[in-house]
Amino acid sequence: MSQTQRIILYSLAIIASVAWIGISADTSNITNGFAPQEGFSAPDFTLKTPDGETYTLSELKGKAVLINLWATWCPPCRAEMPAMQKLYEEYESQGLVILAINMTHQDYPLAIVPFANEYGLTFPILLDETGKTASAYQLRSLPSSYFINRAGIITEVVIGGPMSEALLRTRIEKILE
Amino acid sequence: MLELFRDIFAPPRHLILLVLAVWLGATLTEKRAERFGIDKDDLSLIIYYGFIGFIIGGRLSFMLQNITAFIQSPFSIVSVNVDLFDVFGGSVVFIIIALIIIQRRKLSFWSSIDALTPFFAILVNGLALSHLAAGTAFGIPTSQPWGIDLWNATRHPTQIYAFIASLLIFCLLWFPKQTLRPGIHFLTFAALTSASQIFLGMFRADLTLILNGIKQEQVISLIVLIICFILIEIRLKQTTTPQ
Repeated sequence: MSQTQRIILYSLAIIASVAWIGISADTSNITNGFAPQEGFSAPDFTLKTPDGETYTLSELKGKAVLINLWATWCPPCRAEMPAMQKLYEEYESQGLVILAINMTHQDYPLAIVPFANEYGLTFPILLDETGKTASAYQLRSLPSSYFINRAGIITEVVIGGPMSEALLRTRIEKILE
Repeated sequence: MLELFRDIFAPPRHLILLVLAVWLGATLTEKRAERFGIDKDDLSLIIYYGFIGFIIGGRLSFMLQNITAFIQSPFSIVSVNVDLFDVFGGSVVFIIIALIIIQRRKLSFWSSIDALTPFFAILVNGLALSHLAAGTAFGIPTSQPWGIDLWNATRHPTQIYAFIASLLIFCLLWFPKQTLRPGIHFLTFAALTSASQIFLGMFRADLTLILNGIKQEQVISLIVLIICFILIEIRLKQTTTPQ
């Protein structure tokens, strides 16, 4: 292939690419909807604490929310609780809410309150007694954590654990921005 | 079938696919090393130390960007969390290590990266499969019969498109027997990969939107494509005789 032929080929490829990028432009302003994935609105839920207090996610708009799905029998879940408690105390005043949703349908209900007392947890512990929230969040592995910004959009999903304090801190600071 | 695949390699197990891609890519690269006039042990060194550098460099780069978080919890630097990682920083360290080895072993730069092309090509394949397993790099909703159910909608299987495109690019570069001038092999791979990213960007729903809804990743791929064209021309002018 001669140089002239190559230059023509390059030019055509670049023109086609520019046109394709223009056609691909997304001007719809349609949000991604609800799904447990980065870039989507977090699926809503209403759950109760062991004391009977009710929390609804959609009522927390304007706050930065960390949703943590956990169970008492799960070692990495236990391991990351102290760091979560520490950072909750540090960032609560800036608008951080931690909702630790216990997979009660797969857990020992009587072990939940002693667990929270043992670790001195002061953030809300919610009970997923039916598995509906686990299903909405397409739970595949414990622990699973969802970092939700003040607009209600999931900015990060961390599957597995335990999450280190530095990981928690960097992600929390991001959703508090 | 797809559900079974996604169950087996659900996060964080999707990273196994990337590790497998590194192993397969390294094996194929060593197999073809001699065709590019490079000793396979030299290539193994680049991949081995480059990979270690990528892992350590990615963690260090992330740490430097979030230094205050690590000062408050220094032990986090040895945490097993894969999310404490900066891919760009890791890649820069990989490139630096590769350049050092190329210089120390007095290897030809262009022949070396030509020889490494199968490694990069297989890595792109592995990346597409890991996206499929994790449900990341997802597509826009579609009513096409080949759409996949993902994130509460039927979507373009962009991860499968990307896998097919990268597999075709790999085959295109792996099977022909003719010898190209040094650098052309890698630059062709980079140009084709950029072109496929521009094309598939149309169907992606997770890309960053900039001015008037233009997708940032497509613009970056276009810039890479133009750079590849320029470098191909420079290489063709510099090398008057085929290797």
